[in-house]
Amino acid sequence: MGITVASAVPHPALCIPDLGPRKREAAIHSMIARAHQAGAVRDIASVLDAVLMREKLSAGVAAKGVAIPHARALAVLEPRWIVARSARGIDWGAPDRQPVQLVTLVLSPPEWSAATHLEAVARASAITRLVRLRTRLLDAADAEAMLALVRTAAP
Amino acid sequence: MTGLETLVRLHDLDLLRQELNARSSARAPAAVPIGADVLAVQRARARLTATLERRWLTVYERAHARYGRGLAAVRGRVCQGCFITLPTSALPGPESPKVCESCGRVLCWR
Repeated sequence: MGITVASAVPHPALCIPDLGPRKREAAIHSMIARAHQAGAVRDIASVLDAVLMREKLSAGVAAKGVAIPHARALAVLEPRWIVARSARGIDWGAPDRQPVQLVTLVLSPPEWSAATHLEAVARASAITRLVRLRTRLLDAADAEAMLALVRTAAP
Repeated sequence: MTGLETLVRLHDLDLLRQELNARSSARAPAAVPIGADVLAVQRARARLTATLERRWLTVYERAHARYGRGLAAVRGRVCQGCFITLPTSALPGPESPKVCESCGRVLCWR
């Protein structure tokens, strides 16, 4: 089972143009809550736990103002990516010490194989790989503009 | 943390272990940005299992060894591990988790 951007980010509600929290944990919580509203997550606390555990064990990646937290967890019902932007930046504790302005949270259900989840993370990372795309995402007017860019970046 | 919460955490940690194995066996795409410390994951797992009741750990480990996952979510009374419709007797009790009588996975009704 693979994933396309159209199925992972099916509507603009999963793009957050103005992520409020400035701390990593609160930012991830806010993104998981958005996935919960969209019916993709059964239990916010359990998924937050899984994502933070991976962040703690250095499984996530943050660099160049971009972070890609991810989890394959029991409480994830549907594979979803949540793309968020923070104008002020989030204190992510990245090795390069840059505040993170773009976050792509990748959530996969437990039924997916490890390889399929890793492929989804690789595809999601393509959204923000190029400087040009990062700049355009930061300049996008609203969630719908962000969604259009995301779909262009990783079709 | 309840026994079931610990089992869910253990299950999600085991999914991460599978990803690390897939990564090390080079089946994953090269572009995947994952660099978790295998030893740190093993230590975290040992800490979790130390807090679990032995009987639940045994049930979990047995199903995990057999199917690759020791826990199954329940949706609409259907076990998502073996897709059997569960009897009402499999509804979670107040104090302890329940096991799917068909596949032997611990059931998570939440």
